[in-house]
Amino acid sequence: MTVGTRSTPAVRAASGRRAGARGVSRKAATIAFLSPAMAVIGVFVAVPIALTFWISLHDWSMYTPLSEMSWRGLGNYRDLLAGQEFFTALRNTAIYVLLVLVVTIPLALALGMLLYFPKSAGKGLARAALFSTYVVPAIAIAIVWGALYAPDYGPIAQAFAAVGLDAPAWLSDPGTALVSLVVFHVWQMIGYYTILVIAGLTQIPLDLYEAARIDGAGFWRQTVSVTLPLLRRTTTFIVLIAIINAIQVFDPVYILTQGGPAESTTVLSFAIQRSAFQYGMAGQASAMAFSLLLVLIAVAGAVLAAMRRRS
Amino acid sequence: MRRVARVATGLAFTLVILVPLFPLYWMVISALKGPEELQKIPPTWFPADPTFGAFGEVFQVIPFGGAFLNSVLIAGVSTVSVLVTSVMAGYVFAKYRFRGREVLFWAVVATMFLPPIVTLVPLYWLVSTMGLADSYLGVMLPWLANAFGIFLMRQFIADVPDELIDAARMDGASEARILWRVITPLLRPAVVSLAIFAFVFYWNNFLWPLSILQSDDKFPVVLALSRLLSYSTSVRYQNVVMAGALIASVPTMLVFLLAQRVFVRSVARTGVKG
Repeated sequence: MTVGTRSTPAVRAASGRRAGARGVSRKAATIAFLSPAMAVIGVFVAVPIALTFWISLHDWSMYTPLSEMSWRGLGNYRDLLAGQEFFTALRNTAIYVLLVLVVTIPLALALGMLLYFPKSAGKGLARAALFSTYVVPAIAIAIVWGALYAPDYGPIAQAFAAVGLDAPAWLSDPGTALVSLVVFHVWQMIGYYTILVIAGLTQIPLDLYEAARIDGAGFWRQTVSVTLPLLRRTTTFIVLIAIINAIQVFDPVYILTQGGPAESTTVLSFAIQRSAFQYGMAGQASAMAFSLLLVLIAVAGAVLAAMRRRS
Repeated sequence: MRRVARVATGLAFTLVILVPLFPLYWMVISALKGPEELQKIPPTWFPADPTFGAFGEVFQVIPFGGAFLNSVLIAGVSTVSVLVTSVMAGYVFAKYRFRGREVLFWAVVATMFLPPIVTLVPLYWLVSTMGLADSYLGVMLPWLANAFGIFLMRQFIADVPDELIDAARMDGASEARILWRVITPLLRPAVVSLAIFAFVFYWNNFLWPLSILQSDDKFPVVLALSRLLSYSTSVRYQNVVMAGALIASVPTMLVFLLAQRVFVRSVARTGVKG
């Protein structure tokens, strides 16, 4: 595409006249092009972060004007630390995130290698199937998982019965409900992480494998000495993204368990939304939200530091 | 040994295809079952007497058609806005030099990792103070631009050769003309993948509409679906709920199937969820 043919002689003549004004016009363009995005992100992302902290220092019912807030200082944080709900939610979230990581990382690495290395006809189909779960609305597919987990009417219970096992009660047992949600989460997100692993694998030069083979390294040896070390950046990135995605899980909790049974699936995001919008305790909800942000920053920092130390 | 490996690989492939698709299969067959068959224990794995009645019923029990159109409107407008704002901001971050550019850019990128739940309460306050609670504009406004789109566009626009832009400037093209007529046509794959990302994200977005909307005539389809579920918890109405879930999933699945390659490639390139 040539640009010159697109401008008319009139435009070309005008350019001469505007030559001196070019710096000004570039500056004007910077402001014009940048301001819509910056206005939205500034007003609806940056300002709210500060406001979250500000509201967390107050008593506020959410549905009254902000001017009717009353100052509480760190009172909301004291309440969080004194009560049960926050620690329950924090513990559930931590377990949830850890389980997601423990399953997701090895599985994504294994699936990535499976869908990258073999020369197989089914590869494209498998990638598409694996990734398709990521685009289905979480609400719609969580409803389906509710049916899959159902005792008696559900196929999972039937499959357990077929091999002579007693199926757990899944979502209705406080001991298994959180794990059931983890299974759903991994099922929905694993294709996405697998694609990231595949992208990382394409960056590894194939002659490294050639050299390893000449040295007599088998598949396992190659995986341990070539693939995994060279995937370290990708893996760190996936760990971070998986933490961020898992720490904010909300939709399946809302649809399938509402935090129950016996608060066993009350994760932080659900507790925050519930305190604010059902209990009208916006100050306390904001204290939880701001704590979540601090936890997230600390965890992300720790992951990055651990990664840097090892390399 | 070699044969064992081949059988194992084949088995793994089969699982990798079946496990993701099974819940989708269950959604389809449950939507096709009648009330009697749904109550059977053990459940049937293939509908004995498939019927499409549930697909009509879901539009009668709740205003599902309206909800579908609401989602089209909300996801459509948000997607277009994200495309326009991201191309503009991405161009500035990729090609203009000004003080504080890097700091501003990375500050924007940092917001990409912010869980929306953290700012939900003040966002609700801001939007309702603007008088936009329970309105279409209120649902869309906070999401009309996002860091992910800006990041993606900057990456792609950085690859556009500077000579092309300089040549256009020599010819006297205005900055706006350069952006829309010279650069944007080169960004087709990036624009397509961002459009898909944004559309899927806004179509599936649940937390914000749940928090800001009250009247069901403004509900997007995922919110309508969650209400439908709470009305009809009995297993005999499951076909209606599943029909709703299926209809709600069609647009994003369709978009994915049509542009699967671009979509997967752009995930690989950016590695971040929009």
